[in-house]
Amino acid sequence: MLGRDDRMWENRGSLSREKTRAESGMAERERRHPARAEGRAERNPVGNDPQPVLEVRGLAKRFFGTLALDHVDLSVAHGEVHALIGENGAGKSTLIKILAGIHPADSGEIRLNGALVQPHLHEPPISFVHQDLGLVDELSVGENVALVTGFPRSGGLIDWSRVWSRTREIYAAMDIAAPDPRALVGTLGAAGRALLGIVRGLARPNALVVLDEPTAALPEPDARHLFAVLRTLKANGKSVIYVTHRLNELFGLADRVSVLRDGRLVRSAAIGDVTPSELVQHMLGREVGMAEAPPAAARQSRPLLAVKSLWIGRRGPIAFEVARGEVVALVGLQGAGQEMIGRAVFGACRPDSGEIWLDGAKLAENEGIPERVARGVALLAADRGRESAFPGMSVRENILPSPCVTGEAGWQFVSPARERRDVAKRLERFDVRPRDPGALIDWLSGGNQQKVFVGRWLGSKAQLFIMEEPTAGVDVGAKFAIHGLLRDIAAKGAGVLIVSSDFDEVAALCDRALVVGRGQIVAELHRGDLSVDRLIACSSLGLQQAPAA
Amino acid sequence: MVTHRDSSAGPHAARPAGESARRLGELVATYGLAVVFVLVMAVFGVLRPTTFFSAFNVNTVLVGQSVTAMLALAEMIPLATRQFDLSVGFHLGMAQVLIIGLQVNNGLPWPAAVALILAVALAVGAVNGILVAWFRIDSFIATMGVGTLLYGVSNWYSGGQQITGTNLPTSFTGLTGIYFHIPVPALFVAVMAIVLWLVTERLPVGRSLYVIGASPRAAELTGIRIDRHIIGTFTAAGFLSGLAGIMLGSLLQTGTPSVGPEYLLPAFAAALLGATSIRPGRVNVVGTLLAVLILAFSFSGVQQLGAPFYVQYFFNGGILIVAVGLSVYAAARRRRAATAADTEEASGEARTSAAGRKVDGAIRNLG
Repeated sequence: MLGRDDRMWENRGSLSREKTRAESGMAERERRHPARAEGRAERNPVGNDPQPVLEVRGLAKRFFGTLALDHVDLSVAHGEVHALIGENGAGKSTLIKILAGIHPADSGEIRLNGALVQPHLHEPPISFVHQDLGLVDELSVGENVALVTGFPRSGGLIDWSRVWSRTREIYAAMDIAAPDPRALVGTLGAAGRALLGIVRGLARPNALVVLDEPTAALPEPDARHLFAVLRTLKANGKSVIYVTHRLNELFGLADRVSVLRDGRLVRSAAIGDVTPSELVQHMLGREVGMAEAPPAAARQSRPLLAVKSLWIGRRGPIAFEVARGEVVALVGLQGAGQEMIGRAVFGACRPDSGEIWLDGAKLAENEGIPERVARGVALLAADRGRESAFPGMSVRENILPSPCVTGEAGWQFVSPARERRDVAKRLERFDVRPRDPGALIDWLSGGNQQKVFVGRWLGSKAQLFIMEEPTAGVDVGAKFAIHGLLRDIAAKGAGVLIVSSDFDEVAALCDRALVVGRGQIVAELHRGDLSVDRLIACSSLGLQQAPAA
Repeated sequence: MVTHRDSSAGPHAARPAGESARRLGELVATYGLAVVFVLVMAVFGVLRPTTFFSAFNVNTVLVGQSVTAMLALAEMIPLATRQFDLSVGFHLGMAQVLIIGLQVNNGLPWPAAVALILAVALAVGAVNGILVAWFRIDSFIATMGVGTLLYGVSNWYSGGQQITGTNLPTSFTGLTGIYFHIPVPALFVAVMAIVLWLVTERLPVGRSLYVIGASPRAAELTGIRIDRHIIGTFTAAGFLSGLAGIMLGSLLQTGTPSVGPEYLLPAFAAALLGATSIRPGRVNVVGTLLAVLILAFSFSGVQQLGAPFYVQYFFNGGILIVAVGLSVYAAARRRRAATAADTEEASGEARTSAAGRKVDGAIRNLG
């Protein structure tokens, strides 16, 4: 048990504190409600199957004093596709991770085919396809499959021809065109990787399969293919737990749907008994007021940014414009492709086809990041640690890391005094704590690091700012300050493109939001119509399916 | 809830003490090498008061070590971007063979030979850089390969024989002489060090090098052209290696094809040891020079105490391991400081309401 815990908290580096807190929380609750879990289960027996494949009763889990799972009951019958939906942070992933044995539950019981199991002690016979596929890019497709299914051997040595042939068989069994088993996984596209993760997860002959947002990275045709595979599994008597954000996928696929909100199970029903708008209401916990989108406002004659019929990773087409003075958001569910659009404009990923115009000039396809930066395009990356921070370097150097940001020449002498003044001003303006330009960036909290990286670009001379999750992890005061600064630079004639999954932020900050689904813009919301509810509804359902008021 | 508040109060309460300890740690890290240098001079000065501080000894060390210092500066430049150049030793050897050979065998006047060698040096450096930046060959492998090729060239040119420099003009041998108590090669090193210091500490292009070393991906996303910078660093390293070879030729007055590889390790050790001080965690000019001086004077002192010649190898090998060990330790200490900050924030985030959780979820999704 310790070994597993170690692994899971490795990234947080707070093993001991975490564990003691979880344990003390558990003890405390047991003292207060000794019979709560059992009492509940007896009063509300779930499911009518005499013996469901999976039965979860009164499952609870507390993180940092917050109930991530609040006595959840769930029952999955044989040959059932059971959809699990809910907003980010509703507890879906926690539930899956407890089933997978990554977190121990604080209380409650899990039965597989009637037998009590403790997943964090003994790996249960459940197949998982996690959001993070866990593929090794440097190994071949066949090796990645064998990592999960085991390497076939003959005479103690790995039987490579069987590794390759079995990979083909596994793909064939699901009626999916197999890639070359010897190809490196790194050479597969996002869809190919997602399919491999799914195929690999389903290869083991377990009766219960859990898929955690498997279609996030899949283009429409591949997603349809996956649904066909799931129906085949179901026909073969296997049960599936299907976690998703995309409500329109469920109809025609799932048999039952369970909705989690704030760690509680708020609805569990046969799919025939619910409507999409009902599900959205359950997810949000309130009525959703839907208004017709107003007609698009008149645009300026020459937009700052114009994207025309852009295809990225076989997904598209995308067309939109950003005018000077406008703050536009690209929003969507994870994997919908909104971040790739921003990256393509920045030159960090090459689109399959399409045109990008900046300030009336068409950008050449072979232009990379340096050319785009020189043209005045700036990008704040969402992955702070890997794509923004220069670890081991000071705050001063992290604010002014390169002449490209400041617009200076590389061989032009920089006066340390002037740089100090500039940095001090920015630390003040963005409220970076501590106000110590010499501190290493590693010493700052994540939120303060974010302020540094925002300060890096907002002080530059760029004209189009692409900001991925601009206020992720920053405190509320600084968040409003950053919003104010973004509105300021827009008012001064720049264009701002926000790529965010924080719908509160988008609703508060942006003039317009473009909702992206499967690499296409499925809806456009304008100021008066821009609300968190509408954003959630549109990104989960697409505008076509979104119910009108 | 109570336990929660207690545990979050901990780090805040402990902060002032931790802060001053950190400052002290920083101070020790920054001036550690300077302190060691003073200690080395003091210890041997006391043990061998008459010989150690004699002008002869000091100048001998300075002249002899100027080649190592120049090579250490050469090695330092690609190291700033976290790329290794293992060819500098072989390159130095080739330049040393050529500077004598071109004068003796081909009858070139020495300034022409120097110009030719420096041009070749730039080209060799550029090839290293291109192999690493464009062909994406690991710098370790690419420069090892190129270096071995250069070793082949110097053996091919000399037929494996030592070239004796007869009738070398005094203007050439004077390049490494001592005038008015000032060792000339040390002046070359000083000039190059000042230029390099200005580039690395005062020009944006130098900052770019360190930035690439810290995170190539993040550097790319700020618009830095990584390939050009890497090719530039290897070209500069090639140039300084050629210069070091010319100095060595002038010093030895013979061209020996087997000379060269043994200079790689001291240069490496000095550049890495230099990274533990002045600018802790990154290679830097002042630290590199201090490290060369420490290595040179402590070896000279030990020699005067009667240690045999092979102690040199123990010195260089040991220092390399200690230097890398120290920098790894420093990095680990930094990471710990960073993790503490993370944990604090994580518990802070959990305390906030739904909005905070959404942000948190967003981070997790993107990560």
